[in-house]
Amino acid sequence: MSDLSVTAPTKFQSITQVLKKRAFPTPTQSALSILVFGVLAWLAWSLFDWAILRAIWSAENVGQCGKGTGAGACWAVIDARHRLILFGLYPFDQHWRSTLAAVAIIATVVISCIPLMWSAKRIVTLWIVGFATYYLLMEGSLLGLQQVTTDGWGGLSLTLFLFSSVVLLGMPMGLGLALMRRSEMPFVRGFAVVLIDFVRSLPLLVTLFTAAVVIPIILPSWLEGDKIWRVIVAFALFFACYQAEVFRGGFQAIPKGQFEAGQALGLTYWQTLGRIVLPQVFRHALPSTINMVVITFKETALVIIIGFFDVMASAKAAFGTGEWAPYYLEVYVFVALIYWLFIFSLGQYGEYLKGRMAISER
Amino acid sequence: MFKEMSLKSVAAAALALLPVTAVAESPTVQQIKERGTLLCSGHNGSYFGFVEVNDKNEWKGLDIDLCRALTTAILGDPNANQIVPLSWAQRFPALQSGDVDLIIKATGWTMGRDTELGLQFSLPYFFGGTQFMAHGDLGITEAKDLDGGTICVEAGTTIERIAANYLSTLGVEHTMVSYESAAELRAAYVANRCDAFAGWGPNLAVLRATEIDNPDAHVILNDQLSSEPISAAMRQGDEEFVDVVNWMLAAMLIAEEEGVTMANVEDMAANPPNPKVARLLGSEPGMGERLGLRDTWAREMIAAVGNFGEVYDRNLGANSPYKLDRGLNNLWSHGGVLYAPILD
Repeated sequence: MSDLSVTAPTKFQSITQVLKKRAFPTPTQSALSILVFGVLAWLAWSLFDWAILRAIWSAENVGQCGKGTGAGACWAVIDARHRLILFGLYPFDQHWRSTLAAVAIIATVVISCIPLMWSAKRIVTLWIVGFATYYLLMEGSLLGLQQVTTDGWGGLSLTLFLFSSVVLLGMPMGLGLALMRRSEMPFVRGFAVVLIDFVRSLPLLVTLFTAAVVIPIILPSWLEGDKIWRVIVAFALFFACYQAEVFRGGFQAIPKGQFEAGQALGLTYWQTLGRIVLPQVFRHALPSTINMVVITFKETALVIIIGFFDVMASAKAAFGTGEWAPYYLEVYVFVALIYWLFIFSLGQYGEYLKGRMAISER
Repeated sequence: MFKEMSLKSVAAAALALLPVTAVAESPTVQQIKERGTLLCSGHNGSYFGFVEVNDKNEWKGLDIDLCRALTTAILGDPNANQIVPLSWAQRFPALQSGDVDLIIKATGWTMGRDTELGLQFSLPYFFGGTQFMAHGDLGITEAKDLDGGTICVEAGTTIERIAANYLSTLGVEHTMVSYESAAELRAAYVANRCDAFAGWGPNLAVLRATEIDNPDAHVILNDQLSSEPISAAMRQGDEEFVDVVNWMLAAMLIAEEEGVTMANVEDMAANPPNPKVARLLGSEPGMGERLGLRDTWAREMIAAVGNFGEVYDRNLGANSPYKLDRGLNNLWSHGGVLYAPILD
């Protein structure tokens, strides 16, 4: 650039200033910028036109959908089939229960994210209440409602339940494994090392398939338990083994001197751990933990292979019938929005936590 | 399988050896009656025409209707079943572990499954095989008219080999273009990059009915290149249950042959036109006792789901979005290959 004059950076710049500096400094760059903005605007307009302006919204107007008609997105498929996507095979007239149960699970997760709840007693009470509410509503027989066994559970409620049980079970298991792995007792350490490496060497698909399909062939029926619990335990174990390694990274970032200082002050092992080490471990492990949680949310869709009607499977069933088959794109967009909503919220919560911890770091 | 080998089945086997006229009841049927529900296979999603879910979150489809028919035959109530969603990979282990009582899930009868997997297959209830679909404006109806044409197939499938073999036997000059995935293949066909497209018959019909803008612009050629028998699969070692499933299918075919439908079944039962119908519908005894069921099981079954033709038309044929021709899946008397054993 020929212009070498340097202006002192001002803290506040108007949008026009920013644009002028970033997008239109020279004629060539201006031309490029206009081209890029033009393409982006055209894409945004086409999307808007397809998704909103020319869209067909109501299931009654499905006749207007289709490629020959000039109509855009056929949201009629969502209008007609959203209950299948959201509730799977849950009995049609009992959908209010599934809705309430999903709300209970979301509320449980949201409330446990509030720092005020972070004491062992409160959080354990909350989880027991939350999950009991979910189970009582979904299963129903204990509340005197129509009984719905676990193979009737499905859709978004099932996805949320699988996800939150896996994370809530897997997190303490992961911490336990990480501590065992650091143990000075060779047997305990060896056990953790072998278990973690064994489970991590298996694909999740194999783990789930084994839990769902192979175990009932091997075990006697009284030990079998319901398929959904076997799958949750196996999934949680898988999560825990990865999470243990995340925690291990956190532990390694802490100088050994801190343990020694704790001992020198006369604190017990658990006091040192709980008051000095773990808060720092959590802080170091936070970004990778959020990552694990997000991945786990998406991986719950794998349960389709063992016949669970999670939100992804029920979406496939939603366009898997003659009259709705051409509108798979709309269904996928709808499901993508659901996933995005949850994962984006998780990511934002991670950012909030990071900010909060940065304050305590100062 | 392992768990099924209970004392009951041993006792049933012992009974079967005795020279008595009474029918030994199948342990599977006994279990179904005790449970009060029949456990059938569903799908983890949907398989067009065979297993689908309607707007009320209920299962429907050809395979589901057969399950409902069997439920009615055994328990007298078409809804006393539970459809367990299963993936393709999961279906045989699920059968062996007792998660389902039988598999009715577009499953082909193969030697490996029959022997190594320890399964027992019913009479075939559907034949599907490799067929061609061509652009309608070519004005052709048979594969021999494809001379000089380009045929699209999915790479590495048996379909590719079967189609090439068939066309060279006919002496039809052709160019075979293979595509890696089914989606690519469809896109290529729709974009007119090939004249015809080889695939599994029912899938072609579904594609024609649902994913192509104008179904009438495409024609499925008359040639049937291969044919796979689709049967219900059961655990080996319970012959009486196989009998029940076979006669469930047979009764639906006999009903179609004799013109017994969902609508007229009660009239037919009241005034049977011939002794065969009288026996079929339980107006004369004999139908139930020999299978360990009620004499009226077939009448109730047809009242609930209809005869085989009605079930076919509702799910795959004229009354469905797919409009799949009966073709091979018609009765022998109408040019198909479906036939029932003799009802004596």
